[in-house]
Amino acid sequence: MARLVDITVPDAVRVRACAGDEDARRVIYAAVAPATFTLIRRMIAQRSAAEDVFQDTMMILFERLTEFRHEAPLGAWLRQIAISRCLMHLRSPWRRVRLALEAEALDELPAGAAQVTAPLPPETIDIERALGSLAPTARAVLWMYEVEGYSHAEIAQAFGRSISFSKSQLARAHLRLRAWFEPQGHRPTCTLT
Amino acid sequence: MHTDLEPGQSLARLLRGLAPDSAHPYGWDEFRRRAQPRPTLAAHLASGRALAATVVIAVAACALAIRVGGLARHPHAAPGSVHYGVARQEPARPPAEETAAERYLASLPRDPAVVHVGTRAAVETLEDDIAQVDDMVSAARAGSSTPPARLQALLDERTQLVSSLVQVRYAESLAYASR
Repeated sequence: MARLVDITVPDAVRVRACAGDEDARRVIYAAVAPATFTLIRRMIAQRSAAEDVFQDTMMILFERLTEFRHEAPLGAWLRQIAISRCLMHLRSPWRRVRLALEAEALDELPAGAAQVTAPLPPETIDIERALGSLAPTARAVLWMYEVEGYSHAEIAQAFGRSISFSKSQLARAHLRLRAWFEPQGHRPTCTLT
Repeated sequence: MHTDLEPGQSLARLLRGLAPDSAHPYGWDEFRRRAQPRPTLAAHLASGRALAATVVIAVAACALAIRVGGLARHPHAAPGSVHYGVARQEPARPPAEETAAERYLASLPRDPAVVHVGTRAAVETLEDDIAQVDDMVSAARAGSSTPPARLQALLDERTQLVSSLVQVRYAESLAYASR
């Protein structure tokens, strides 16, 4: 599957889509939806929330398609929309309340019940699980920096925070992930965040 | 974009090599279906709510008219002469600047496609605060025992919030235009 940032759409199709042509919109959707959804799923672990953000992102794409300025591939523009919507979701008060409630529920569990020891042997490191063990913000920062190629300044701007925020989140994510690469005996437990 | 090849390079390669999400997104038809407003239950609920709201407003208006009318009658006035005077001092109307600010806000385009999370959070917080103050102003106007100073304080707070919102939206529109 092509990376979202590299996906382009023929101009003729885009113009027809801007004019409301259903078939052209279907073509664009088919071209960008899988990569968009994958990106959103990497940023937001919960599938139902990821679907909401995906729907929102795709609706914005078609509503604002006339604003696309051809400065980059359509996929790059859509990636910006998707990431900003993901960050909006991560910052939303509803989500924060939910996290607080989950933390409270976690506190009520018996000691050790909230921890799951990683069962995977070192030779089959499950990077997916390692990624899933990160806190949502750290995961988003890690993905933006390592995979999408954002700089610390760009990440800081997107989050509305300082550059040191981005650096510290990335360092924390690296530290956490590095632990997964260590031998089994040294591997920490995976704590729900 | 960063170009430095750090020790994290291998991690980046691992992450990029992750398989696409196994659960594919839904197709175009499902997207279209989800994009449509749901007319059935929602419409029924909306019409029911509208009816209920109309009834509540009508009852409240009647109650208010009776109450204000009763209070405004001068106790020593001659029989038959009813004075519907000002029961309490109405605070000043919103200043002209606030009206202009609201016109400016209404003239702004909708949110940009790509938003900055910090700015957007500030806008949403301010909009929520304004809505909250509006509710309090409505409640204060409906209640006969609200001191005029309290109402004026709420209106002043609203003016400040609207002014702050104008500044943030203006900065946001400038940032968007410069991209």
